[in-house]
Amino acid sequence: MTGTPASGIAVVGVNHRTAPLEVRERFAHAAHEIPRSLERVLGAGAAGGVLLSTCNRTEFYLTDPSEAAAHAIWQLLSERLGDGREASVYGYATRDRDAVRHLYRVSAGLDSMILGESQIQGQVRQAWETSRAQAGPVLHRLFQTALLVGSRVRSETALGAGAASAPSAAVALASKIFGSLAGRVAVILGAGDVAELAAACLVDEGVTVTLVANRTYERAKIVAEQLGTRAATLDEVWEQFTTVDIVLCSTAAPHAVVTWERVAAPIRRRGGRQLCILDLAVPRDVEPAVGQLEHVFLYDIDDLQAVAAQGAEERRGVVPAAERIVDEELEQFWGWYDALKVVPVIREFRDRLEAVRAAELARALHQLEHLEPQDRERVEQLTHALLNKFLHPPTVALKEAASAGRAYALLDALRRLFGLERSP
Amino acid sequence: MIITFHLLALGCYGVATACALVPFVFGRPVPRFLSLGAPLAGAALHVVGVTQLTLVGLAPTLSVLALCLVALQVLSERVLRTAAVSLFTAPLAAGLVGLALLLGFGAGAEPSGGRNAWFILHVTLSVLGVALLALAFISAALYLLQFRELKTKRFGHVFRFFPPLERLDQLNRAALVAGFPILTLGVLLALGYAQRFASGMHLPPAQLVWGVFTWVVLGWAVWVRTLRGWSGRRGAFASIAGFAAVVLVYVALKLAAPGAERFL
Repeated sequence: MTGTPASGIAVVGVNHRTAPLEVRERFAHAAHEIPRSLERVLGAGAAGGVLLSTCNRTEFYLTDPSEAAAHAIWQLLSERLGDGREASVYGYATRDRDAVRHLYRVSAGLDSMILGESQIQGQVRQAWETSRAQAGPVLHRLFQTALLVGSRVRSETALGAGAASAPSAAVALASKIFGSLAGRVAVILGAGDVAELAAACLVDEGVTVTLVANRTYERAKIVAEQLGTRAATLDEVWEQFTTVDIVLCSTAAPHAVVTWERVAAPIRRRGGRQLCILDLAVPRDVEPAVGQLEHVFLYDIDDLQAVAAQGAEERRGVVPAAERIVDEELEQFWGWYDALKVVPVIREFRDRLEAVRAAELARALHQLEHLEPQDRERVEQLTHALLNKFLHPPTVALKEAASAGRAYALLDALRRLFGLERSP
Repeated sequence: MIITFHLLALGCYGVATACALVPFVFGRPVPRFLSLGAPLAGAALHVVGVTQLTLVGLAPTLSVLALCLVALQVLSERVLRTAAVSLFTAPLAAGLVGLALLLGFGAGAEPSGGRNAWFILHVTLSVLGVALLALAFISAALYLLQFRELKTKRFGHVFRFFPPLERLDQLNRAALVAGFPILTLGVLLALGYAQRFASGMHLPPAQLVWGVFTWVVLGWAVWVRTLRGWSGRRGAFASIAGFAAVVLVYVALKLAAPGAERFL
């Protein structure tokens, strides 16, 4: 950030590459907190702002920010961090084209922890809508185009195709068995973070979790409440193997808990319906023999990682194509933004010369009092025509240079030559 | 003109075959407008060619069968997103049109009882019934391949580009359950046509016996699928048995009484 109010676009924030989860979760803003935080930052000196806050990033996008605005952001985040810790050590700040490119890459999923994940596009839209009142015209346009970039990348490349993480691979595998997962029924064995994350992915796809079972009932109850279902101990779960479609296992047991003896009989009563068992535990929760049952599809963490690795590999292959789309859209936006910047300068330039014309005309007409009114009018028309003729070429040149993204030097020259106030 | 339209349709089905093979060769799907556009364009040209046929003889019947297969392929892709079906239907349609062209459409013999609505309905429903049974067979084959891929955890091109198991099972069931009554109705219309407009139906005993056998096998497949609740692999095997019976009996009867002037 430069000192004093500056023109341009800036992004200030942290993401999954610069800050650990423990820090990021303190920076995360709920939707209702966003307007107040933005108000504080804009109050320190910026024309407009949007706050994008997800579990993987907290980023302030600002137009015409002052140095004080950046300082206000770090102060605000440091307060959320607590213990007198300095937030700026986890963060970054970029300006202008780099800031625009950054947002476009974020929206396209190129900057995501899971390359190409699509959730971020909804989060970008949400951030824009939440900050709408404080965004200002430039950020409105920037976020609109960022969403367009995200859509283009997803429709014109295969960046969003396939599964690129273990939980999304679990969803992909279950989808290859059942097609749509909406209305499917699942039980969760284990109540750790991995089970919770994978269960959340399944719930997002429309799966109904009917039971969370764990060795310790209390922990199962916590996860069950988060998923809006009921908790049970492991002994209560085996009969569920007759009715459910998906079983997600992720207990911390040191040995297999889902054994042939426990589940073969309930599975045989399914009448030929498919059962998908996703074993995310290490060591494995499910005896491999269970997978030999005809209608059982058993996948362990290695299988899920194999699917995820395949998906990630496919996605990496299309990154150059996605980056090309980002570059194309960046050039378009920057052309628009540069053109926007020259308009006030051109106006000031014309006003300055118009004032000179008017003053010189008044002086000349004062000395030419013998002229008839029609002649005086003709002289005035002549000065207007001369001024317009003189101004036309530089005006066109400035607009063309702005569209081509190289207006800076011309604007600087204009400012110096004519002593204009506005900086380029 | 008939030949020209069939040649153009053959070209489109060739493109559709190439589109179906691309994902399995290059690992990337072709754009949907191309995978749907090629068979649709072929079918449109094909329809023009078929409307000029007399529908008597082997070549016209194969041509109509190819058209029905492509129509069902497009329909199943639109409704159930089962693009991989074209891996079988597109080359099969191209092969059938190619074979029809090789056999030649002849001078256009007239059916014995005249070319009326009964006759056209009989041919259309019979061929549509066979095409539906072929679709049931294809979806059953795709099901078994995808089942094996998922069970053995291979995660290759079949896993990526074949539809989910349940969708294939749905398609298999729908095609079999629709195909059997439509084929039966087509055969009944043939009997009615022979009684009303020709001098009755005089079938050789072998055709009658093996025809009834095929109908029983197909009826069994539909029965186990609908009333016994067979699904998944068992349902797929039942569909394969039903269609295999149709094909084997037809080939055997055709070998016993060769000739392209009649379909059967």
